Amino acid sequence: MGDATRRAILARLLDGPLPVGKLAGEFPVSRPAISQHLRILKQANLVMDRAEGTRRLYQLNPEGFDSLREYFEQFWNQILDAFKKAVEQPPTKEKSKS
Amino acid sequence: MTSTVDQTSVTPVRKSVTVKAGGERAFEVFTQGIDTWWPRTHHIGKSPMKKAIIEGRAGGRCYSEQVDGTDCDWGEVLVWEPPRRFVMAWKITHQWGYEPDVKKASEVEVRFTPLEDGSTRVDLEHRYFERHGAGGAAMRTAVDSTGGWNDLLQLYAAQAAQG
Repeated sequence: MGDATRRAILARLLDGPLPVGKLAGEFPVSRPAISQHLRILKQANLVMDRAEGTRRLYQLNPEGFDSLREYFEQFWNQILDAFKKAVEQPPTKEKSKS
Repeated sequence: MTSTVDQTSVTPVRKSVTVKAGGERAFEVFTQGIDTWWPRTHHIGKSPMKKAIIEGRAGGRCYSEQVDGTDCDWGEVLVWEPPRRFVMAWKITHQWGYEPDVKKASEVEVRFTPLEDGSTRVDLEHRYFERHGAGGAAMRTAVDSTGGWNDLLQLYAAQAAQG
C-alpha cells in the first residue's frame, strides 16, 4: 500500500462510492492507470465494485477494515455530516435545494 | 432481557452531533425527511437510488426506491418514539446484501435531546455488530500494520477537523 495514488484513491472513497470516470477526472493520471490501481486495491480486498445501472461504482470494502465496526466509525461520520447540513438549512420548505 | 449470548460483543459505534435546529424538526428531517439529505451513493440497490424512505411507525420499513422501479429494503423500525428517539434494525449483510433475518441484523438507535439554546444534540449508537455473525468476524482480515485503514482514518479525521 505504499503507492501515493492508491492512498489518495482510498482517501477519496472514504467520502462515498464513485464511478471510475469520476475518479479518473480527479487525479492527474490516465484512466487506464486508475483502473489498474483499482484492480490492485480490489485484489487487496480494500475496495469492491458493484454495478449500478450501466455504470460501475467503486467503494471501500468492509473487509479492508479491522472490523465491521471500524467501517461504521467512518460511515456514520459521513451520514451525520450530511444530516447536519440538511437540518441547518433555513427551513424554507423540505425540498429547498434544486 | 436478552438471553445469554455466547458471542463476544463488539463495542458499539457512538456518534454525536449538535445541530442548530429544534428537537422536533431534527427528528422530522432525520426520519420523514431522510430523502432530502441521505447521500445518493449509499444504498444497496442494483440501479441508482431514487428515493429514501423510513416509515414512521414500529414495524415500518426502511427502504429505497430505485430508478429501475424496484424497492430495496435495508432496515426496519423497531422503536418509534417521536420526537425523541427511534431504533432501526440494520438489515444489511457485510457484503451489502439484504439480511431478511432481524436476529442477524445490528441495530441503530438515534436520540434527539433538545438543548437550552434551542439546538439539539443527536446521539447515534450502532450496536450488536456481532449479530452479523461469521461475516463480521471474518472481516478481521490482515491489513498491513502500516498504511492500513487506521492511518487513513486518522488522515481523514485531521482533514475533517480542519473543515
